[in-house]
Amino acid sequence: MEKPIVQIDNLTKRFPVGNSEFTALSHLSLTIDKGEFMGLVGPSGSGKTTLLNIIGSLDTPTEGSVEVMGQSIATLTHKQAAILRNYHIGFIFQSYNLLPVYTVFENVEFALLLQNLSADERKKWVMQALEWVGLTDKAKSKPSQLSGGESQRVSIARAMVKRPQLVLADEPSANLDARNSHHIVQTMKKLNKELHTTFIFSTHDEKVMQYLDRIVSLKDGMVEKDEAVLHIQN
Amino acid sequence: MLAIQLAIKNLLGAGLRTWLNVAVLSFAFVVIVFYNGMLDGWNRQALKDTREWEVGNGQLWHPAYDRYDPFSLQEAHAPLSGEVVSLVQRKQLTPVLITQASAYPKGRMINIVLKGIDPDQQMLKLPTSLLKEDSGEIPALIGKRMAQSARLKTGDKVLVRWRDKNGTFDAREIHIAGVFDANVPSVDNGQFWIPLGNLQQMTGMENEATLLVAANTHTVQKTGIWEARDLDFLLKEFNEIMDSKKGSSKVIYFLLLAIALLAIFDTQVLSVFRRQKEIGTYIALGMTRAEVVRIFTVEGSAHSFLALLLGALYGIPFLAYLAKTGIPMPKSAGEAGIAISDSIIPVYSAGMVVTTILLVVITATVVSYFPARRISSMKPTEALKGKIQ
Ligand SMILES: Nc1ncnc2c1ncn2[C@@H]1O[C@H](COP(=O)(O)OP(=O)(O)OP(=O)(O)O)[C@@H](O)[C@H]1O
Ligand SMILES: [Mg+2]
Repeated sequence: MEKPIVQIDNLTKRFPVGNSEFTALSHLSLTIDKGEFMGLVGPSGSGKTTLLNIIGSLDTPTEGSVEVMGQSIATLTHKQAAILRNYHIGFIFQSYNLLPVYTVFENVEFALLLQNLSADERKKWVMQALEWVGLTDKAKSKPSQLSGGESQRVSIARAMVKRPQLVLADEPSANLDARNSHHIVQTMKKLNKELHTTFIFSTHDEKVMQYLDRIVSLKDGMVEKDEAVLHIQN
Repeated sequence: MLAIQLAIKNLLGAGLRTWLNVAVLSFAFVVIVFYNGMLDGWNRQALKDTREWEVGNGQLWHPAYDRYDPFSLQEAHAPLSGEVVSLVQRKQLTPVLITQASAYPKGRMINIVLKGIDPDQQMLKLPTSLLKEDSGEIPALIGKRMAQSARLKTGDKVLVRWRDKNGTFDAREIHIAGVFDANVPSVDNGQFWIPLGNLQQMTGMENEATLLVAANTHTVQKTGIWEARDLDFLLKEFNEIMDSKKGSSKVIYFLLLAIALLAIFDTQVLSVFRRQKEIGTYIALGMTRAEVVRIFTVEGSAHSFLALLLGALYGIPFLAYLAKTGIPMPKSAGEAGIAISDSIIPVYSAGMVVTTILLVVITATVVSYFPARRISSMKPTEALKGKIQ
């Protein structure tokens, strides 16, 4: 049995608010295996984004342990956390977060610039990633020239281009219409199948949920329900 | 390398704002080079003129002589001893005798100093060969400033009254043999240059001098009673005036530079504030905060590289043109008491240009760094929320 990619034990996250503290996550435990296509759901304020941020080493636990690919998030240095994100974790944001002055190609290439790859290799990988999301013809466009769906596909390409172990997608469909929502989740599902990348979503979106293999419901910073979804193949 | 690439891209992507900053900074850069070039050129020209017209390669002074105290002239003269005479004969020194006098051009009285100099001397640029005329009268050379203030011209005659070494007044008509045009006010204002022999005779100071000017082949050292005054001593005031000119021009260009730097600082503060989401994204993509600080710093300091390029684009033709034609100087500038010609040929030394480039690049980097440093205390999660887009 392979080690889980994310192992969370008794995680508590508190934020200082004024002179007191607000508990966003409370004694939360969760195990996510490699290759899962799973989602965090729950009402607004239930702690989904907070949890994704900690898994992504953008934030640290207050108590408890979070291990990602065998590394304890609490003890990583800035440099180690940056390397973990750069090589192994892809982020997809609700508002895409593309860099406006770069072309589509350069936006996707950015993740690779931090790694020591030759220009030829980078080009090959970027074009491959753009092919996955069906945007090879937009390589030279600027983000401002793209539709919302296209922008989110670019950000998927950017997250996937380095072939990370783990992709964290925080409400990726929140700004998209139904057709585009289906499209991007289908794209990610395909990559999950082909590359065995683990995907963790946070979402309110029924259209996204129907593709997930596992849904973890959060409420007040705790796991309320954790259920596997059976897809009827037809 | 990556940081520079990103910085240039971000800067160019920012468009007009970048170019405004760059334009102001490039202007400051060109003005600094221009000012320094002008001052260096002026300095060089003034130094050359002062040496050629007045101080030579140093002087020997009678111990009582004080150039700022005309009353010292009564005492400050002595016969030339054997050793000095031989140096004079070998054209290593030329004696100058100085005495106070009054002149009466057109009935007015003005105070002057009479300076006796060998008409055959060639150490100073004074056209003393004009003093060799033999008309039976005592010839005098005056500078254009003296000529103007006394309203005298070549060929005029003027009554001059002086005291001999016993204090007895005597007077004679002197003939203006020539008016010279020197950029050095201190050989001109209030002075009549006449043949040394005549002055020695008029004052009864046979074979005496007040000071001796050294040729370029001679290094001054105390000789007999004569005190050595080297160039450092003689040019002390000159250097002080130059330094104060440099000081006051620095104020102007530091002000300009400060404006340019303020614009960059402002842009940086705004960038760090407005581009939080971008900062968060860089971190999510695997940069450390220190690396993001570096990108933003390089981005701010890259203004200076663009400014140098732009400055070179219009500055080089402009400065080269000035180096060819010279910078016309206002007439009043000569009254500062320092040699100045009608136009100054600026001198742009490599050292000065390099220093200016470093000044611009380093200061731009510093003002870029301080706002960018704030990034290192930002929480990536807060940055990603990007309160303001
Ligand atoms: N930096 C912070 N300081 C204080 N409180 C915070 C901070 N970040 C999050 N919280 C609080 O923690 C709780 C969980 O926030 P989180 O963003 O994880 O919710 P969420 O489940 O992602 O909600 P949504 O569905 O609206 O995105 C919220 O009540 C929020 O106000
Ligand atoms: Mg959220």
